[in-house]
Amino acid sequence: MANIAGKTDEQLIVEKHIANFHKGFAYWPRAEEAPPALGDSRWTQDLILATWLMAETGQVPDNGLEYKIGASGGGFDVLDFNIPSQDQWLPADTEIDLSLPLNRRDDGAQLKINIPMYGGGMSYGSISEHVMQARARAAQHLGTFTSTGEGGYPPSLVPYKDHIITQVATGMFGVREETIQYAPIVEFKYAQGAKPGLGGHLLGDKATDVVAAMRESVPWVSLFSPFPFHSVYSVEDHRKHVDWIRTTNPRALVSVKVSTPTDVDMVAVGSYFAGAHIVHLDGSYGGTGAAPEIAKKNIAMPIEFAIPKVHKYLVSENVREEVTLMASGGVRTAYDVAKAIALGADGCVMGTAELIAIGCTRCSNCERGRGCPFGLTTTDPLLQQLMPADWGQQRIVNMYNAYAIQLRDLLRKLGLKSIRELRGRRDLLRYVG
Amino acid sequence: MNNELTRILNSRSKLPRTDLTQFNRDEAAEGGCGVIGMASSERVAARHMLAALAQMSNRGNGKGGGIAAVGLDAAEFGVSPDVLHNDYLLAMAYMDPAARAEVEAQYIHPVFEIDHVREQPHMADYTQITGLDVRPPDVVQYFVRPKAAALSAFRAEHDFMNLPERAVEDEYVYQNSFKINTTYYASLGEKRAFVLSHAKNLLVLKMVGYGDDVIRYYQLEDMHAHVWIGHHRYPTKGRVWHPGGAHPFIGMNEALVHNGDFANHASISEYLAQRNIYPLYLTDTEVAVQVFDLLYRTYNYPLEYVIEALAPTTERDYTLLPADKQRIYSMLQSSHIHSSPDGPWFFLIAQSDEGGQGEAVYRLTGITDTSMLRPQVFAWQESTVDGETVSIALAASEKQGIDAAMISLAAEDPRFWSRADRYWNARGGSHTDGGAFLFSVHDDYKTKPKLVLTNKFGEPVKQPTSRPAYDRAAYSPAAMALPTGSAAELYDWAQTQLPSWSYQQAQDFLAGVEASANGEANDAGRARAIELLSLLMDRRYPTGSLRRSSLVSLVDASLERVMAAIKAAPSEGYVYHTYGANVPKAANLTQTLILDAQGYPPQGDDSVGREVQRIVEAGFRYIIVIHLRGQRFIGNGIGTNTQDVHIHTYGSAGDYLASGMDGATITVHNNGQDQLAQIMKAGRLVVHGDVGQTFMYGAKGGSAFILGNAAGRPLINAVGKPRVVINGTCLDYLAESFMAGDPLNGGGFVVLNGIMFDEDGQIAELETPYPGSNLFSLASGGAIYVRDPHQRVVSEQLNGGEFVPLSEADWQLILPYLEENERLFGIPLTRLLEVDGAARAPHEVYRKIQPGSVRALQAEEAWVTKAKTPTTTGGGH
Repeated sequence: MANIAGKTDEQLIVEKHIANFHKGFAYWPRAEEAPPALGDSRWTQDLILATWLMAETGQVPDNGLEYKIGASGGGFDVLDFNIPSQDQWLPADTEIDLSLPLNRRDDGAQLKINIPMYGGGMSYGSISEHVMQARARAAQHLGTFTSTGEGGYPPSLVPYKDHIITQVATGMFGVREETIQYAPIVEFKYAQGAKPGLGGHLLGDKATDVVAAMRESVPWVSLFSPFPFHSVYSVEDHRKHVDWIRTTNPRALVSVKVSTPTDVDMVAVGSYFAGAHIVHLDGSYGGTGAAPEIAKKNIAMPIEFAIPKVHKYLVSENVREEVTLMASGGVRTAYDVAKAIALGADGCVMGTAELIAIGCTRCSNCERGRGCPFGLTTTDPLLQQLMPADWGQQRIVNMYNAYAIQLRDLLRKLGLKSIRELRGRRDLLRYVG
Repeated sequence: MNNELTRILNSRSKLPRTDLTQFNRDEAAEGGCGVIGMASSERVAARHMLAALAQMSNRGNGKGGGIAAVGLDAAEFGVSPDVLHNDYLLAMAYMDPAARAEVEAQYIHPVFEIDHVREQPHMADYTQITGLDVRPPDVVQYFVRPKAAALSAFRAEHDFMNLPERAVEDEYVYQNSFKINTTYYASLGEKRAFVLSHAKNLLVLKMVGYGDDVIRYYQLEDMHAHVWIGHHRYPTKGRVWHPGGAHPFIGMNEALVHNGDFANHASISEYLAQRNIYPLYLTDTEVAVQVFDLLYRTYNYPLEYVIEALAPTTERDYTLLPADKQRIYSMLQSSHIHSSPDGPWFFLIAQSDEGGQGEAVYRLTGITDTSMLRPQVFAWQESTVDGETVSIALAASEKQGIDAAMISLAAEDPRFWSRADRYWNARGGSHTDGGAFLFSVHDDYKTKPKLVLTNKFGEPVKQPTSRPAYDRAAYSPAAMALPTGSAAELYDWAQTQLPSWSYQQAQDFLAGVEASANGEANDAGRARAIELLSLLMDRRYPTGSLRRSSLVSLVDASLERVMAAIKAAPSEGYVYHTYGANVPKAANLTQTLILDAQGYPPQGDDSVGREVQRIVEAGFRYIIVIHLRGQRFIGNGIGTNTQDVHIHTYGSAGDYLASGMDGATITVHNNGQDQLAQIMKAGRLVVHGDVGQTFMYGAKGGSAFILGNAAGRPLINAVGKPRVVINGTCLDYLAESFMAGDPLNGGGFVVLNGIMFDEDGQIAELETPYPGSNLFSLASGGAIYVRDPHQRVVSEQLNGGEFVPLSEADWQLILPYLEENERLFGIPLTRLLEVDGAARAPHEVYRKIQPGSVRALQAEEAWVTKAKTPTTTGGGH
């Protein structure tokens, strides 16, 4: 089947597509004319293009693209910072620390991340193996973490295990003792903000032979994780669950990912008392196209309400300094991250933004095996070649580097030397809706 | 509603109301608490409750605990039996000592004739109890009767002209307590006093601490009662400081403790509000007891209907009820849909039915929720001592609590021994027993009280045995000379002898076994003794005139002495390891380490689970863990290279045993608890008893052999190739979402034998091999092989699965597992293939359930590139 230069037709087609994609991702952010039908009010055309530009250059967009907020008319889009006058800014050469300790208890490893963000769980099967590899390598490069999601631990990720969070979710897919023991952090996924009350799901036509083999399930059958954990119906059960993981891997930190019901503050405090190092709140704005529309944005509490509610409650319980509070669910930009932290989070967990960086256009075809035109949320071995892992890795690293520049700049203007000083500074925010 | 009833409910509309918005939701998210109850023909001392609660302390967090006692000893309270039976026992908790005079002046002296006042003794210094942050309230008990004038004014005010005197009195006391609570506990920011309990012959004590701390602080160790319930709670909030929110909660003549929580607290509160009932503590438990009180006392429902209203019979069970029951239950369900707790819960209710007519019933009721998210364990032991029946029945959130209470009781009272005659689970909403049991102590004030066990429908629970129990008379056994041979041979020999043995001969035999294990250089004798005693403990066999529970208690004691001898004189083959000592290095691969679990904390670095990891790392391949008291996580994290590791557990091994196991073999010489073998990947688990909730949840592989039953949701979401034999049955939801491939091509399966053992160890068929409504629901892979020669399991119980004939290939697949089952449990394959005394072909006995048409061809399946060698391979090794 060898063809031109010893390559197969398939290889030639893939190469041609890759070249065109890369040309397009570079072209559109700087194009005079608008691309056809890109974006929505949450992830606007400008935000997507700005993210592509940051992923390309590692720099802050300088061409007038709006890179701080979307056009949702709510959430982070109606919050802004009160920037003091220039004379109160810290000098330009001030060293600004973006690092974040993840363990504030006196047990377990003292892990720290270099930027106040890590990658959220996206499973083998929901995204391609190339995307997982890109995320893992980027996490290693940046000195932070990414999460397996609930679909198993591909052996190709094992070299990066010190930067990979093993997720234990309600279906227990692909989780075994060894993958728990790999992990510096084990994340319990109790619920997702995009679809609280539903477990994870992978529709039948994404469950290819290879994906099913990783989960040891039956190929081409839709997989639904139950809700909730059938072994955890109470906070006492949860404590047992945490103790089990800590017995299996005593050095692992435990993160508890929950959605944002109205009593999210109680859930967070309960998680802390059960031994969690990290409480991860997942609000309602997140979720890929695979999450049902009826659930997205309609069930969980918006993250900007949940964060201060939980933060204040943890403070009132005198345990705020002993637990790390991470937020996710529609955190799209460096400014969203800063706003979440000012509201009371310690840091943020990122999902969709990383996918945008590597070419996602929010076309919402994520639930199909071959739905993703850019080879991101595909399970087709051919299609996944459209996003080479090394290219993706660099794009993700670049995006976070651009975020870091913005965060340092913002902190300097706010007169803060460390991202940790921003936490809970609601006084620095104002409502602009 | 009839008029009297309406008047009662209306009368409550005049009670003061409290603004509840000021309350913190301290109790909002508690759940799997440690709960135990017992009822006995004898008055049992609280210290045995203490033993059980102390053992279950890892089910609470010291933020709330309490006990209730019914059927008290008049002398211990300094009153006459007459006063005990006829007076209301108003127990007041005073957090603020100054409140006492106010409460008495306003709510006690003016309205009650007081026969006796008793101040509950307590420890001088509460800080002597570790972890007790808040001074428990001072408790004063008043034995009272409402004053005649107050009562007749009350009757007149609310037009209760046709109500019986007792009902008016009850309501009067109830409303008086409500006023005390709203004034002194709820309405003021400072919580100064509240009513602990106010029924006749019933006492509640509770505080911010563990349930066992209540017994210690109030010095109740020697207090006796016929019925006890106890509770540890696990509220999520950090600084709970007031005791009112602890269990038990009271209605009028009952106290209730609760394990779990329910989702429709708001709906039930609304239902109660429509009837002028306003809970004060914002906990789901309190609304539950208010509903119970409403249905039982105000609506006068029989207990069966109260239980049905709380835990409705649904699905297939409903259809199996007789038509007249269906009619009534249907009415109950539609009337009470808004007052029926929805979620994971079970209740233990201690009730004092002091009839006032020369008789009383002290009752312990255990009710299980219909979705079986929180099953409870019941146990019963009964014997005849000096011509009188002595019996005790227990219910608990876990068997280890029952074990601890029985061991404690047996240690000091020769009428009891450590093993119950019968242990059982309840299937909530079951059409056969209702998933609820009533343990009623009938007291005619003259003769010895009798304990009567019935199920929800009022049918008596079947007597487990009529054989005499071991009388515990002092006897010094003389070691019997034993035949030579292996443990198995000796076991077989004992089988031939046992039917003719007395308890004394059995003890002589055990003494012979122990003697044959004596001596340092006698590792072979030790090995034989341990194996033989384990067989006698694990197997079911004819015991002649002896009662099994008594005999096995003797075997327990014998094994205990063999272990003690090893501790005193370790050998090349056996080392003994205790808490605090350094883990020794294994001398060789065959050396056995005996790990004495006593003293190990329930979790953390010093837990038994972590110690087992260190022992495996130290090179031991044979580990025997003894004296387990519910310690969890055994066999967790011992790694993948453990195919030659063998762990045996004795005592009560705790939750999560073998979870994540990836190669080793674990044998549980008792029942297993909850969450066993979750995500297990490889290896083998053998349980000589039952297993609890979510057994093998998300398992990937390995094999498991269970002598008895599994509770709810075994093998849910299991994938890969787990292979399991369950000889009994399951509560429900067996192998839901099972995804274990094609069993004939390397995938997984469950063999469900549906058998039980009679008193003589003979195999009998269960009424049905699977009683639940959800079998193999939504499964896409694997298979169930159910022994069902009478075709009792029907398609309606399947949800997505289908019956297919058993093929020769299927039989060849499961045959080796049934042969192994025979080796492990002595369950003969030939007996399994026997139906009504006649041998049958396998396909006449076993039926196969496989996934039905779970999927259509997916659009992508036809043309997605087939990777011959997957880019990554699944699962690992």
